[in-house]
Amino acid sequence: MNDASDYIVELKNITFRRGSRVIFDNVDIRIPRGKVTGIMGPSGCGKTTLLRLIGAQLRPDSGSIWVDGQNIPELGREQLFAARQHMGMLFQSGALFTDLDVFENVAFPLRVHTDLPEDMIRDIVLLKLEAVGLRGARALMPDELSGGMKRRVALARAIALDPALMMYDEPFVGQDPISMGVLVRLIRLLNDAMGLTSIVVSHDLAETASIADYLYVVGDGQVLGQGTPEELMNSDNPRIRQFMQGEPDGPVPFHYPAQNYVQDLMQTEKDA
Amino acid sequence: MSLVDRVVLLGRAGLDTLAALGRSGLFLVNVLFGRARFGNGWTLLVKQLHAVGVMSLAIIVVSGLFIGMVLALQGYNILVGYGSEQAVGQMVALTLLRELGPVVTALLFAGRAGSALTAEIGLMKATEQLSSMEMIGVDPLKYVIAPRLWAGFISMPLLAMVFCVVGIWGGAMVAVDWLGVYSGSYWSNMQNSVEFTEDVLNGLIKAVVFAFVVTWIAVFQGYDCEPTSEGISRATTRTVVYASLAVLGLDFILTALMF
Repeated sequence: MNDASDYIVELKNITFRRGSRVIFDNVDIRIPRGKVTGIMGPSGCGKTTLLRLIGAQLRPDSGSIWVDGQNIPELGREQLFAARQHMGMLFQSGALFTDLDVFENVAFPLRVHTDLPEDMIRDIVLLKLEAVGLRGARALMPDELSGGMKRRVALARAIALDPALMMYDEPFVGQDPISMGVLVRLIRLLNDAMGLTSIVVSHDLAETASIADYLYVVGDGQVLGQGTPEELMNSDNPRIRQFMQGEPDGPVPFHYPAQNYVQDLMQTEKDA
Repeated sequence: MSLVDRVVLLGRAGLDTLAALGRSGLFLVNVLFGRARFGNGWTLLVKQLHAVGVMSLAIIVVSGLFIGMVLALQGYNILVGYGSEQAVGQMVALTLLRELGPVVTALLFAGRAGSALTAEIGLMKATEQLSSMEMIGVDPLKYVIAPRLWAGFISMPLLAMVFCVVGIWGGAMVAVDWLGVYSGSYWSNMQNSVEFTEDVLNGLIKAVVFAFVVTWIAVFQGYDCEPTSEGISRATTRTVVYASLAVLGLDFILTALMF
């Protein structure tokens, strides 16, 4: 896998700051084509930012982001919107259009980007809804759906145009065990059946590790480690071990930095 | 706070204001001159014309009626002292066409439609609907913002005209039917003194300018708001405050230039 075309996304020397806070410091990440790649790390470490960088909703301070041979930050507005038609993204909230029903939500990308006749749009929409098990829910409005169903409808919408790259932003957050199982299965199934490349950003370790072919662990603006799930589970790096084993204290301290506890308690309010 | 801190804060506020002005200018250029790619642009526009224009009709008609009635009542009470109550029709028409029609319509429009536009767009931003639209490869500036902006431009001047017509009728109801001004003098005095270019057209120009400013502020505040519940509430307030101040300020400038 050394050939550049084996990788659908390549982030090279990416630096991204938010105000004075450095989110990514000279980071390199490569996403292999046709695989499910997990990006893991503690909350607030910039995992979602990474997806937004790939989708060019944010621009890096320096570095290049190659998606299928195009340097995304250098594209003009029109080219960018054309490039995004080959990407699908599942947002944490689902982000369904609240004024459209389930059918129209899934039909939306087809209506705006294709000139397909109505009966063909209907067939494609039903096909995609069948894939996520919600063909029977086509007439419902988004506010009539449960959180898990919303995410599945959003998934059907994201794959409506048969993208080459699917990005999942925290797909397992706030899901009951059944919907979680459904989503885990769907992500793997769609990836293999449709020949997609999937990026799953998550901090749900077990679920992500169970479907990912390759994992990145990010934190402190760096890639802390990468490898197959088994390799990372057996890693010697204390940071990775703490994350993978879910230990409350370790290189990532339990306590937010503060002054000495005893001193703090002894201080009167006036001193503070 | 030291003097230096105050200067720093002042500088920061100035820079933020300039940056916001720059963003809003670029935003407007992108919305107005971006190439539309969607076949169903008319459907989107008609939907927004209904939401922004037709749905504002009730408040405009009722306000126009009462303002016309009050103008006639106040005008009559003053004019009757000089024995010139026959001129009440002319006074009502000129006041409405030149000033109150465009200005009050714009203020009501900012409160009724402008705040709704800001809140709707802000909520779409907060629930990631705008982001997901971008990721589907659809530019929200063209798909969400442009139809709303054009709907505002088109419907507000029409609403201002409706406001003036209803106001003149309201004035007639009070002056002619209630206070007994001779209906011939009410209408003929109005016809003799109201000029099409001087009064009607100038009023319409004002309405077009206000429509432009109010809708621009409303959609920009929604699009630029912080995507949280406080952010949306602040943006909605800003829309009404900025739009009202802009309308009143511009009204003075336009009046100075026109009359």
